[in-house]
Formats: sequence, structure tokens, C-alpha cells
Amino acid sequence: MNTEIMKFKHLEKWQSTLANCIRCGYCFEHCPLYKHTGWETDAPRAKIITAFGLLSKEIEPTRAAAHKLFSCFYCKRCEAACSSGVLLTEIFTDAKKDLLELGLCGPGTTSTTRTSCAKCLVCLAACPHEARSFDGKNIVTDPSRCQACGICIEVCPAGAATIENTFGTGRNELIDKAADFLASHKAAKAIVFACNWSYFPELQASTLPESEMTDKQYKILVNMCGGRLEPQLLMAPFLNNAWGVLAACCPDDDCQHGGNLRARKIIANLKNTFKTLEIDPDRIQMVQIPAGDKTLFQAEIDTFIARINTMGPIR
Amino acid sequence: MKTIDQTVLKNIVGENNIKTDPSDLYAYGSDASVHHAFPWAVVRPENTAQVQEILKYANQNLIPVIPRGSGSGMCGQTVPIHGGIVLDMKRMNKILEINLADVYCRVQPGVIDDDLNLALKQYGVFYPPTPASSRIATIGGEISNNASGVRSVKYGATRDAVLGMKVVLANGDLVTLGTRTRVEASGYQLHKLMVGSEGTLGVIVEATLSFVPLPEFRCMGIANFDSLQDAGETIGDIMASGTIPSMLELVDSVAIKAVNKTMNLGLKEVAAALIFEADGMVREAVDYEINKMTAICKKHRGKDIRSSYDSKERAKIFLGRKKLFPALSKYDDNLASTSLADDMAVPYSKMAEMAGKIHEIADRHNIVMTAYGHCGSGCMHTKILMDTRRKDQWASAKKAITEVYEFVRSVNGTTSAEHGIGLSKAQAFKIEKSDSLNMLAAIKTALDPNNILNPGKISQAPENWVTATNLRYSVNS
Ligand SMILES: Cc1cc2nc3c(=O)[nH]c(=O)nc-3n(C[C@H](O)[C@H](O)[C@H](O)COP(=O)(O)OP(=O)(O)OC[C@H]3O[C@@H](n4cnc5c(N)ncnc54)[C@H](O)[C@@H]3O)c2cc1C
Ligand code: SF4
Repeated sequence: MNTEIMKFKHLEKWQSTLANCIRCGYCFEHCPLYKHTGWETDAPRAKIITAFGLLSKEIEPTRAAAHKLFSCFYCKRCEAACSSGVLLTEIFTDAKKDLLELGLCGPGTTSTTRTSCAKCLVCLAACPHEARSFDGKNIVTDPSRCQACGICIEVCPAGAATIENTFGTGRNELIDKAADFLASHKAAKAIVFACNWSYFPELQASTLPESEMTDKQYKILVNMCGGRLEPQLLMAPFLNNAWGVLAACCPDDDCQHGGNLRARKIIANLKNTFKTLEIDPDRIQMVQIPAGDKTLFQAEIDTFIARINTMGPIR
Repeated sequence: MKTIDQTVLKNIVGENNIKTDPSDLYAYGSDASVHHAFPWAVVRPENTAQVQEILKYANQNLIPVIPRGSGSGMCGQTVPIHGGIVLDMKRMNKILEINLADVYCRVQPGVIDDDLNLALKQYGVFYPPTPASSRIATIGGEISNNASGVRSVKYGATRDAVLGMKVVLANGDLVTLGTRTRVEASGYQLHKLMVGSEGTLGVIVEATLSFVPLPEFRCMGIANFDSLQDAGETIGDIMASGTIPSMLELVDSVAIKAVNKTMNLGLKEVAAALIFEADGMVREAVDYEINKMTAICKKHRGKDIRSSYDSKERAKIFLGRKKLFPALSKYDDNLASTSLADDMAVPYSKMAEMAGKIHEIADRHNIVMTAYGHCGSGCMHTKILMDTRRKDQWASAKKAITEVYEFVRSVNGTTSAEHGIGLSKAQAFKIEKSDSLNMLAAIKTALDPNNILNPGKISQAPENWVTATNLRYSVNS
């Protein structure tokens, strides 16, 4: 196949940056995709290597290569972790543009629309990245703009907006993981939903001895963006006897998807519902954690756990 | 290229734990070194039995097997130059036991160093060899490279902390090496032979490691110097003074500039700085060590000397050092930081001369080189910053490397202090160890007669590998 450099006109400008990536791997411990699959090929370093391989014609632009570069939630943790200053997500976006021109569009984490779409166009207004448009017949997503924040999924009344490759962050997957934890740990009482932007404690790839885990009181589940928190997800742990649910989002001005503002509204509504049901509204809380502040995050979790311990289980 | 029977591998590890697509293989073809080569398949075993099955199959069919942790090695240890199966060990990531009474822990090889230390911390103990890459490096990779780090000056390298291990041999047999006791004199200490073997003698599937108490007090100091020579002499003096620093690190002007540029730490841009630390259970004892080191720094014209017990202040100084290697890539946008001759060890008394020599060689060959490292343990790092697209820069780098190693050998130093040999350093290694290469070959043949385990590395690496072929960069002619 003829993969002249012209074909990668967006990637071309990154040529020296791609060489400057020292391939240390510091970025992959932060990546939710890597955390989910455990495959290095899903980690940011592998995407940089893939982009380099495409540009230097070491590999062909195939669907499999494209799938790697289209799989990203744009949490940008990798960029924050990379002290070689590699602007990873900008490189991914440029690679996506080139691949699209070659007729390769992922699928990766790009949101798509099922045939059950009611054409209400709610998602168009809600998309913070102007990635969705209506072509007169259908809703289409521009994969080079989509940042997989998932807000379209949460606003779509018909359940038509979807992300096929959720890497463990899909609603049902999170509900199952929460239920699993609550059922299998004697001391379990809370679920903490966290966007990946907060560099959270317990961000570890290794498994601790079972003896260390049995008295765990909470589990942190990464839901990618506060904008994807919705009532069904937030309430699910309570159906499995959780004493409380904590949602960690970015500070107001930090969220690149505006997701925290949505989360705040939803949690305020749920608190009102709790009051009506005579359940302490403090059992569901939202905290705002600046990127990288894992000490504050741990402190907020500890305060929350202490608070729900004074309340006991919901009767 | 031999054909791999994917069905056999799928039957062993399951459909979802094998990759053969060229784009996946390409991504698994490199590590943090300058090299790259395609493997034929990547598989992720989950347990010892699966590792045994894979090795049996590979041994019978003469297929190379390259064990891999996080691929953060800097010398091409995991680059499959003869193709074969990359054995990604990161799924075997369980901390199996923390035994406080007998002061050891047992872990699977894919456990990440920092994760282990996180688990140990709550018991007031830590696993000390910890390289700068501890956030990603696996215990299996650390053992196989005999990794060490900033605290090795006091607490030793990985080899000192490994009590025993379980290893799958090339033919698939499982052996238990070493012990769970602190000392052992029962024969050849084969577990220590595995340390530093770079995946060429067996696959580590479990390790028993010792740990030590976390000190109550840690005090870190920093001193600036107007000449690299002064800083180098200070190191020698500190180590000869009977002081036991828990860290003694050198950073030169190139390194300081790079760290400032990336992390905005506001370090003073001087010729060299020394970071020193003492730790212990009694504050007065720590004070004593710090004062002694401060006085030695002053004697050698150290300036702006300050020290702190404050954890935030210490973390700030330490962070700069920890992120130094990646930060070097930002020294100049057109220069990439390459690991070539990057971790020599020399006797303390030769530190100053070594640091000066590195700069002199770099100037002469018109390239940028930096001198820094865990100098308290004799380890001097350097990175060559160059435009990797230019063939002439590679030629200069090659000359510089050759001269650096000539100097190292002339002062009875060694090729690698902690990163290992892999491909990049094989040539210098072979010259240094020329009279024992036959012993190495005999050990390798005895344990791996079909030469399937990470072939082509250490003493088997091709001559002149560094600038010959399989560079990961596109080099213009
Ligand atoms: C930014 C940066 C900083 C670094 N700082 C330091 C430092 O301060 N000190 C230091 O010593 N090193 C350092 N390194 C080098 C490297 O991180 C270490 O050597 C580390 O131990 C490698 O671990 P890994 O899991 O990435 O191993 P890999 O690179 O994946 O593998 C290393 C070797 O171990 C073998 N191997 C891996 N697992 C097994 C197993 N289970 N059984 C048998 N063989 C196996 C491989 O075949 C290979 O030969 C640094 C690297 C980077 C990128
Ligand atoms: S992108 Fe940055 S953090 Fe990731 S491997 Fe490259 S240099 Fe390291």
C-alpha cells in the first residue's frame, strides 16, 4: 500500500514529537482503557507508537490501527503525567483526521446513533464538542470531534445514542461492578464514582492480598465524566444495600465537557427525593477535586465514610 | 519466520489473551530503548501452569520467548530481534502474602513496584530497591534487570532484597530457588543468578522479597556547585567519611535546565547540584548525618545549602529527580533523549573525573550529554540528546559512547549499574567481560539448550548493535 507522507498531513507536524516520546510508559498507568483491558496496546504509549508507525510507514493504516487511535476518552491524564510534554490527545485527534480521510473511522470510543433515534435532536444541543449534527435524515457523529464524554448517551430519551466500546465505563458495567463489590465485601458500604480527571488514590494495577481487601468499606469506580452520572447509576448501589454514594467531579471551571454542572443538578434532585423518602440526603454527595489532588480526594472519601458510619445502613 | 500455531496458544491462555495483528505487534516491539523489532505474537498468561505450557510448546518448536513486564527497560531487553512470542506478565499481578513475622512478602512478577509499596506502607515497612520508574516497573522486570534506585546507596539493589523465587525453565519445568530466610549458604544461590538475567534463563513466576521498616525521620538537603569537579569530589568524600546517606544524587547543568523547563521547580541553574538525604528512627542521628554531609559540601565550595524534614519540600526536590529522564526530552524541542551509554558505575574516587569526562567527550563530538545519577552507589547516568533523524548525530553518538566506555574500563568501572545490558550495551559489556564470556555461554546452554529465552541479548547481542539496525527512529541518510 502506498502510504505517502501526504496521506498523513495532520500527523506530519508531530514527527519530531513522536520521536521525542521516550516510550517510558509513565502515561499508561493513568489510562482508564489500559486499566480496564490490561493490554499495553490500549495504553497511550501504544497509540503514540502506532501514530509513529503509520507516519514512518512501518505499519499499514488498517482498521485495527485506527481502532487504537479512535479509542480515547480525552481525560488527558496521560498528558498530565507525561513530563516529556507530549500532547497526546492532540496527536490522537490529528491521527483520527488523517485516518478518516483514508476511509478508516474507528470505531473506537466514538459515540454512534442507533436506528431507534427519534430525531429529537436533544443530543446536538447537549454535545459540548459540536461533534453531532443532523444531515436531514440521520444524526451523524464527527469522529474527529467526538471526545467520548458520553453526555449524548445520558441525554438521549430514546436510548439511541451509544458508545460501543466503553472499556468498563458503561452504565451497566458500573452497576454490575458496584453490586459485585457490595455483595462480596463484608464491610462494604459505599461506592465512589470518579471521573478519570481526578488522579485518584488506589490507582493501582496490582491486586492486593485478599486479607487486605475484605475490610474495604468503599470502592472507587471510574465513570469517566460527571456528565455521565445519571439517576439510574447513582441509585443502583442503594438497591444493593449501600449506605452511601459519593460522586467526585472536577471543579466548576475545570471540566472540559461541562459534565460537573449536570452532575450537580442530578444530585440535587436526588437529594430532594431522599428528603421526601425521609432518607438522610447526605447519603449522596458530590465533591469537586482538582486534577491530581489525590490527598484531597482521599480526605473527602474519609470524611464521607465517617459521616455514613454515623448513619448506619438504610432501614 | 517460523509459524506459530495460534490455536495452541489460544487453548492455553484463552482467545482474549493473545494478539497477532500487525498494529498490536508493532506496539509491543519496543521499550524505552532506541530499538524496535516485531514479535510474532503477544500472549498474556494468568498463572504458572499457563507459563509452563507456553514454554513447553515454544521449546519443542524452537520459538523465541521474550518475557515482558511494563517494557520500561532502557537497553532493548524486551525488543524481540529474533521475533517470537512476547510473554506479557502483567496479568500475574497479585501480591500473594505480606508476612510481618518473618519479614518477607511474596508477589507475582507483574506486581508494580509502587503498588507493592502502597500495600506495605500501612504496616510501616517498605521495599527499598525502587527505581525512578517504580510507578510502572514490574517486580519481574526489576529482578531481571537488577534494578536499583535512589535509596540503593543505603538499602542495596534488587539483588539484595530477593530471598527466593519460583521460575519456569525453558523446557517448562518449575523450580523453586532460594529461600524465605534472611541468609542462605546452601549451594550456588541460583535465585541470585536469575537476578539480572534479563529473561534469558527462565521466567520468574513468583518472588519472595524482604522489606525494611520505614524510617521515622527523613531529611533531604540540596547543595549547588559552580563546578562539576567540586560536586564529584564531594560525593567521594561523603562516601569515604563513614556517613550512610539514604540518597546521594548528582544532577548537572543540562539536567537542571531540563527539569526547570518541564516542571517549573525554579532550581538555580548552576554547574551541578547534589541532593542528599539521611533517614532513621532517631532525629538526632539523622541530624548528625545531615550536618556531616552539609559540612563536606561546604568544604568543596557547595553553595545555597538547605535541608528539610518537611515532606512537601522533600517531595518537590525528589519529584524533579524522579521525572528527570523524561524531562530531558524537553531540553530542546529538536533533540530526543536517548539511552545509550546511560548507567555506568565507577569507583567513588573517580566520580568527579567521570562527570567531567562526559562533558568533555560531548563537547568534542558536538552532541549534548548530561551527567547525573545515584552517585552514592557509584552509578553515573548520562543521556545523549540528539536529533535522531540525523545519521551524522548517530555517528557522533557512537564515537562518544565508545570513549565513555573506554574511560569507564580504564578506572575499573562497569558497563551497567542498574539498567542492564540488553542490546544497546552489549558491545561494551563483551569487552569488559571478555574473560568470562565462556562461563556465561555455558550457563545459558545448560539452562536453555535450544536458546529460546530472549535470544540475542547480553552476550549474544550482535556486535555494533547500537547504531547498526533496528533503531526505532527514522534516520535520514
Ligand atoms: C523514566 C525511566 C526511569 C528509570 N529509572 C530507573 C532507575 O532509577 N533504576 C533502574 O534500575 N532502572 C530504571 N529504569 C529502567 C527500568 O524501568 C527498570 O529496569 C525496570 O526494572 C524494568 O521493569 P519493567 O517491568 O518495565 O521490565 P521490562 O522492561 O518489561 O523487562 C526488563 C527485563 O526483564 C525481563 N523480564 C520481565 N519480567 C520477567 C519475568 N517475569 N521473568 C523473567 N524475565 C522477566 C525482560 O525479558 C527484560 O529482559 C528506568 C526506566 C525509565 C523509562
Ligand atoms: S507519551 Fe510521555 S509518558 Fe507516554 S511513553 Fe511517551 S514520553 Fe512517556
